[in-house]
Amino acid sequence: MTLTDTTPAPPAARTRSARKRLVPYWLLLPGVLWLLVFFALPMVYQASTSVQTGTLEQGFRVTWHVATYWEALAEYWPQFVRSLVYAGTATFLCLLLGYPLAYLIAFRAGRWRNLLLVLVVAPFFTSFLIRTLAWKTILADGGALVGALDALHVLDVTNWLGWTQGDRVLATPMAVVCGLTYNFLPFMILPLYTSLERIDGRLHEAAKDLYASPATTFRKVTFPLSMPGVVSGTLLTFIPASGDYVNAELLGSTDTKMVGNVIQSQFLRVLDYPTAAALSFILMAVVLLMVTVYIRRAGTEDLV
Amino acid sequence: MTDSTHTGGDVRLSGISKSYGSFTAVHPLDLTVPQGSFFALLGASGCGKTTTLRMIAGLEEPTTGTVFLGDRDVTDLPPYKRPVNTVFQSYALFPHLNIYENIAFGLRRRGITSVKKQVGEMLDLVQLGDKASHKPHQLSGGQQQRVAVARALINHPQVLLLDEPLGALDLKLRRRMQLELKRIQTEVGITFVHVTHDQEEAMTMADTVAVMNGGRVEQLGAPADLYENPRTTFVANFLGTSNLIEAEVVEAASDVVVTAGGGTLRLPANRCSAPTTTGGRLLVGVRPEKITLAHADDAGAIAGGRNRVTGRIVDTSFIGVSTQYVVDSPAGAALQVYEQNIERDSRLAPGAEVVLHWNPAHTFGLDAAQSVLAGTVGDAGLDEAEDAA
Amino acid sequence: MRRLRKNLVVIAGLLTLAYMLLPNVVVMLFSFNRPAGRFNYSWREFSTDAWRDPCGVADLCGSLALSLQIAAWATLGATALGTMIAFALARYRFRARGAINSLIFLPMAMPEVVMAASLLTLFLNMGVQLGFWTILIAHIMFCLSFVVTAVKARVMSMDPRLEEAARDLYAGPVQTFLRVTLPIAAPGIAAGALLAFALSFDDFIITNFNAGSTVTFPMFVWGSAQRGTPVQINVIGTAMFVIAVLVVVAGQVAAGRRKRTDVS
Repeated sequence: MTLTDTTPAPPAARTRSARKRLVPYWLLLPGVLWLLVFFALPMVYQASTSVQTGTLEQGFRVTWHVATYWEALAEYWPQFVRSLVYAGTATFLCLLLGYPLAYLIAFRAGRWRNLLLVLVVAPFFTSFLIRTLAWKTILADGGALVGALDALHVLDVTNWLGWTQGDRVLATPMAVVCGLTYNFLPFMILPLYTSLERIDGRLHEAAKDLYASPATTFRKVTFPLSMPGVVSGTLLTFIPASGDYVNAELLGSTDTKMVGNVIQSQFLRVLDYPTAAALSFILMAVVLLMVTVYIRRAGTEDLV
Repeated sequence: MTDSTHTGGDVRLSGISKSYGSFTAVHPLDLTVPQGSFFALLGASGCGKTTTLRMIAGLEEPTTGTVFLGDRDVTDLPPYKRPVNTVFQSYALFPHLNIYENIAFGLRRRGITSVKKQVGEMLDLVQLGDKASHKPHQLSGGQQQRVAVARALINHPQVLLLDEPLGALDLKLRRRMQLELKRIQTEVGITFVHVTHDQEEAMTMADTVAVMNGGRVEQLGAPADLYENPRTTFVANFLGTSNLIEAEVVEAASDVVVTAGGGTLRLPANRCSAPTTTGGRLLVGVRPEKITLAHADDAGAIAGGRNRVTGRIVDTSFIGVSTQYVVDSPAGAALQVYEQNIERDSRLAPGAEVVLHWNPAHTFGLDAAQSVLAGTVGDAGLDEAEDAA
Repeated sequence: MRRLRKNLVVIAGLLTLAYMLLPNVVVMLFSFNRPAGRFNYSWREFSTDAWRDPCGVADLCGSLALSLQIAAWATLGATALGTMIAFALARYRFRARGAINSLIFLPMAMPEVVMAASLLTLFLNMGVQLGFWTILIAHIMFCLSFVVTAVKARVMSMDPRLEEAARDLYAGPVQTFLRVTLPIAAPGIAAGALLAFALSFDDFIITNFNAGSTVTFPMFVWGSAQRGTPVQINVIGTAMFVIAVLVVVAGQVAAGRRKRTDVS
C-alpha cells in the first residue's frame, strides 16, 4: 500500500455520513412543526387580532388600531396589577411553606422519603378544580377555620390590611391568594427538593467543622446551593399564577378579578377579540420580561 | 466469525488520519499489527491512541487512509459488520441486561439462538459462573471488567481492541488483571490491540509497544528495545526516567566521543538516533539504574573504559529496595541515580563529592534539537494534550 | 425547648403537607354527604348514595370518558413527538439548536391563558370548528415541552459508549435502538408520558378556550360550580386519588421486592 497524506474518504463513507447528518432534522421535523403551527403561529395571529377593529357581525379587519392597547390598559390596569401582586404573594408564600417541606424530605425524612414524595404528588390525582372547590367548604362563612381565625384576632389584622372583609374570608383577596398558593405549591416543592437532594451531606459537616452555626450553615451553604431549585420553583409558580383565573373565579368576588378573568370573559363571553388579544399580549410581554430579568439576575441558564 | 485461525488476523493501517476541523487528532499513520500479537498503543491522554483504536473498531471514520484486516479493506464497514470487538473504557456494560444477556448480546445479534453452551464456557473462562443472573451494577470493578472481556471474546473476533480496560481499577487489582488478560490472550491466540497511558502496563503485557505523542507514533518496538534504546526524548522520559546530558561531539567513529561539562563520554555509534558530526551537538542519555555511584575518595578503584561524571549529592531518598540520589555535576544538574540497597555506603549523604560511572554500552544518543523535557510530568506538550482530550 | 427548635423544620414541613392534603380530605368526606341544595359545600348528613350511583348525573361519566380518551391520545402524540425532539437535542449537533431550545422552553414559560387565547385566535381566523380535535391539538402542543424535558434529561445522562458497544457487538442501527437505547431511555419516556397524561387530563384553561361546546371532565366541574355541584364529582375525585395512590404504593413495594431478590 502506498501511503499518501491526502487519500480522500471513499464515496460510500461520504454518503453514509451525509445521510447521518440529516437524522436530527428528521427527528425534529414533526414536533417542531407542531410547535411552530400551534404555538408560534398563533402568537402572530394574536398580534394581528390585537390591532384589528370591527364587530362580530361584520367581521374584524386589520386596521393597525394600536390604541386598543392603551384602551385595554386604561380600563383593566387594576386587574393587571392585582394579577402581579397576587401571583407574587402566592409565589413568596409557596417558597416560605415549600422550603421546609422540601428540606424535610431531602435531609430529615430517612426511610419516609418516598412516602412523603408520594403525598406531595398525590393531590394531583384529584382534579384541581374539585380541590379548589373544596376550599369553598374549608373557608366557608361561619366555618371552623374562619371561627378560629376570628377568635385569634387574625381577621382583625387581615381586615386592617385589606385582605379580608368583616368576618368573611371567602370572596376576599386572602381566599384567592390562599387558593393560588395551594394550587402551585407542588411546582415549588419538587424543583426545590431536586436541588436540595443533590447537595452532598458532607458539605453540612464541613461547614459545621469550620465553625458555622446551623443558621449560618443554612445561609452560607444550603440556601445558595439550592438556588437553581429556588429559581425554577419560583418561575413554575409565578408564571401560571399570573395568568390564572380559576382561583379568582371560584374563591374570589368581582373585586378580586385578575387579568386572566378579563381575557377569558372578553374572549368567550363579550367576544371583544381585539381587546382580549391585546391584554393577552401585554401579559405575555410582561411575564417574559420579568422572567428574563429574573433569570439574568439569578444567573441560572438551565431551568426546569 | 469462523476464521480467527486464518492468517487474516493482521491489522494494517495505511496512511490513516483523523481531523476534527482544524485539529488533527491522528497524523497519517502506517502500522501493522501481526496476527496473534499483543500490541499496545501507549501515550498520554489526547495523543490520538484512542482515536486510532476507534478507527480500527469502525466507531470513527478516518479522514484519510485505509484499514485492512488481513487482506480485506474494512474502512467502509460499519462497526457491526467488522469482525472486531472492543472492551470499552469503563466497560459500557448494558445496565438493563444481566451478565448472561450482556455476554450473549453479540451472538444473539448475529442470529445465533442456542447460546447457552458458549455463554457458559465464557463465564467459566472469566470465572464468573455464579454471577450470570446479576445485573452489572451488582458486580465489583474487576468483575465488570471480566464481563466486558467475555462479552467481546465470545464472538471470536479477529482482533480484540482494549480501550484503557484497566483504568478504573485500583493498583493491586490492575496488576492481577494484567496477568489475567495476558493469560487469556495466550489461551485464545487472538490479536489484542491495547490502548493505555500506563507505561508499566504496556511493557508488562505487550509484545510490541507503539509510543504515541501529538497524533504521531514516536517509536515502535519490543518493550525492552524501547526502554534500552529510546530514539526520542519523549520516549526516553515517558518510559521510565532518563538522565539527558547536552554534549558536543568530538569524534564520530564506531564509538562516538563527546564532551560535556569538561569531561569526556563515549557511546556506540549504533545507539545514536541522530546524525553525528564532529563539532555537532548531541543529547547523551543514560538510565538512573545503570549508573554506579562511588565516593570521590574511591575514584581510583573504578575500572577503566567506563563513562565517568563527577558531582555532588544534593538529595537522597530511601525507597526500600533502592536508594535514589540526586547529583549536581558540571555536565548537568539534578542527575538521577538509583542504587540497589545491597551494601550501603554511609558516606553517600547530601554534600558528598561523588563519581558517577557506567558502561558506555548503556548510553544512548538523541537529537539535541528536541526539548529535553518532552514526556516528563508537567511537560507543556502533555498538558496541551490533556486539554485537547 | 431545644428539641422543639431542632425539629422546627419537621413541624413546619408537616404543616405544609397538611395544608396540601386538607382539600383531599374534604373532597373525600363530602363524597359521603347528602347536601341540602344543589351545592355540596356544607355538611348535612352521611350517605353513600353518590358512591352507589357515580354516573347518576347527566353527562358526568361521558365527560370523564372523553377526558380519558383525549389524555390517552395527547400522551401518545406528545410522547412520540417529544421523544424524537429529545433524542435530536441530546445526541446531535446541528444548526438552529438554540432557536429550537427556545421554542421548547417558551411554552413552559408562558401563562396558559396566553397560549389558550392565541391558539383560539388561530382557530377563529382559520374558521376551524372547535371540539375534540382542537382540544387534542392544544393538549399535544403544551404537553410536548414537558416530555422533551423529561426524556432529554435521561438521554443526556446515558453513556454514549453503550450504543457504541452495541454497534461493536453486531447490532445494526435499528437493533441498537430497540435493544439498548430505548430500554435505557424508557424510564425517562415513561416519566414524560405520565406527566403528559396528568397535564392533559387535568387541563382546564386551554381546554376552556378551545373546546367549543365539547365538555371534558374539568369543563364539567367548572360548569357545575355555576349550576350546582353534584356529590358524584367528589366520588370521582376520591376514587381517582385512591386508585392512583394504590398504584404508586404497589409499584414501590414491587420495586423494593425486586431489588431485594436481585441482591440475594
